[in-house]
Amino acid sequence: MGDTTDGTGALGVLLLADARLPTGAHAHSATLEAALAAGLRTEQIPDYIRARLRGVARAEAAAAVLALRAARENPVDFAPIQAALAARTPSRALRDASASLGRGLTRLARGLFPEHSAVAALATAPDDTPGLRVLRPIPLGALGAAFGMAVDQVARAALYDEAQCVAAAALKLRPGDPIAATRWVVDAAPDIEESVRVAVGATVPGDVPARSAPQLDRWAGAHAYSTRRLFVA
Amino acid sequence: MTVVPETRHAPTPDAPTVVSVARGGTSTHPVELRTGTFLAPCAMRRPGRAQRVALTGVRASLCAGDEVELRVDVGPGAELELTDPNGTLAYNARGGRAAWRARLTLAEGARMTWHEPSFVVADGADVLREIDVVLAPGAELLWWETLVLGRAGERGGALRSLTRVERDGAELLVEDLDLRDSAERELPGITGRARVLGQVGLFGRVPADPRGPDRLDLAGPGTLWRAAARRTYLVDTELGPVWRAWGGHG
Repeated sequence: MGDTTDGTGALGVLLLADARLPTGAHAHSATLEAALAAGLRTEQIPDYIRARLRGVARAEAAAAVLALRAARENPVDFAPIQAALAARTPSRALRDASASLGRGLTRLARGLFPEHSAVAALATAPDDTPGLRVLRPIPLGALGAAFGMAVDQVARAALYDEAQCVAAAALKLRPGDPIAATRWVVDAAPDIEESVRVAVGATVPGDVPARSAPQLDRWAGAHAYSTRRLFVA
Repeated sequence: MTVVPETRHAPTPDAPTVVSVARGGTSTHPVELRTGTFLAPCAMRRPGRAQRVALTGVRASLCAGDEVELRVDVGPGAELELTDPNGTLAYNARGGRAAWRARLTLAEGARMTWHEPSFVVADGADVLREIDVVLAPGAELLWWETLVLGRAGERGGALRSLTRVERDGAELLVEDLDLRDSAERELPGITGRARVLGQVGLFGRVPADPRGPDRLDLAGPGTLWRAAARRTYLVDTELGPVWRAWGGHG
């Protein structure tokens, strides 16, 4: 064996984890802004990242894994995955945040891979969830298929993005040392890998974790009512 | 209000409690009220079209090894008001586990309200709570649950509460409230410093009011209103008006 990978999906991994990707992710704080407004202290942010990685991010990563697997089928049907994730996300504010990121990723997928069958199938993903646009993990899985990524790569990209989203937002909301913020992400590695393992184990939509986080749902709801905010969610 | 005596069957070990009601003419009547190992259903007479049933404890629960099971069946167009006036207390299990399960089935056009004033998980308890709801088209459930971590001065034991509501064959709400690890449940975003988690859920219909940050509109037809506090009365004060606005009795 040589000292390089075969490159399959490698570019996709880099692109999907890049904050410069034109998907609108810079407008999101992963509800950190609302958490800080509710009294979360700066030193609690690593714990907040941990809670996100075990909860909402794990559910999204599992849905992305299922979406990638569905994207390799013929015909491609994302609707049951979108419906399962929607039933496990009682907060409209959190569904809206995921749908807003989903829109950016869908636009990117359609621009880069207009002919791909999984990208075409994004149009029917909301068939079982009227009124709800495509949620983030669905186009993430479609892009993963188009890039030739493996399921753990897509799951890790989703989880890493979540941790990095909190860390980057923290630097805007509570300016501090960017290296310290990067350390939060590095220190979250065991939680990221544990969630990758759970996400990769999902084989049917019912396997999407449904971990309830009542306080997070409340923060997200309060943020939607707030008129003074930096981030959309 | 008077208590109507009903036939009681001799309970067998960990037998389920069954509440089954049907509509006859303009009102609802009991079809089966079966006493289980832990809970006895008691039909209450009251004015109006709905049948009210109160659950009363047959013996102390929940202790280690107890498996409480409640089955509720509301027939087409029938209306049931279920109350559990005494609530549930899960005792220190000293290493053992207990389970509390309910399965609610509402037929087409059925309506049910269910008030659980408190489900207390004492220090040392280890409880799995599973609520499964199946709604036919046009059915509506209004449900008030109150989960309490610990008695006064306690931090509370381990609780995992699984809720699954299905409507017309599709998942409406799936939740896994996993409060087994006390360090993990105190992570930011889970329970915070709250000891009491209350929730009023309306499934099958979306109410117009009230609105606010504690209201959660589901992706399908259903709405939750949550309250979390250190004390039960604070949660009750917040949820009472929501319960009544959404059609709850009392």
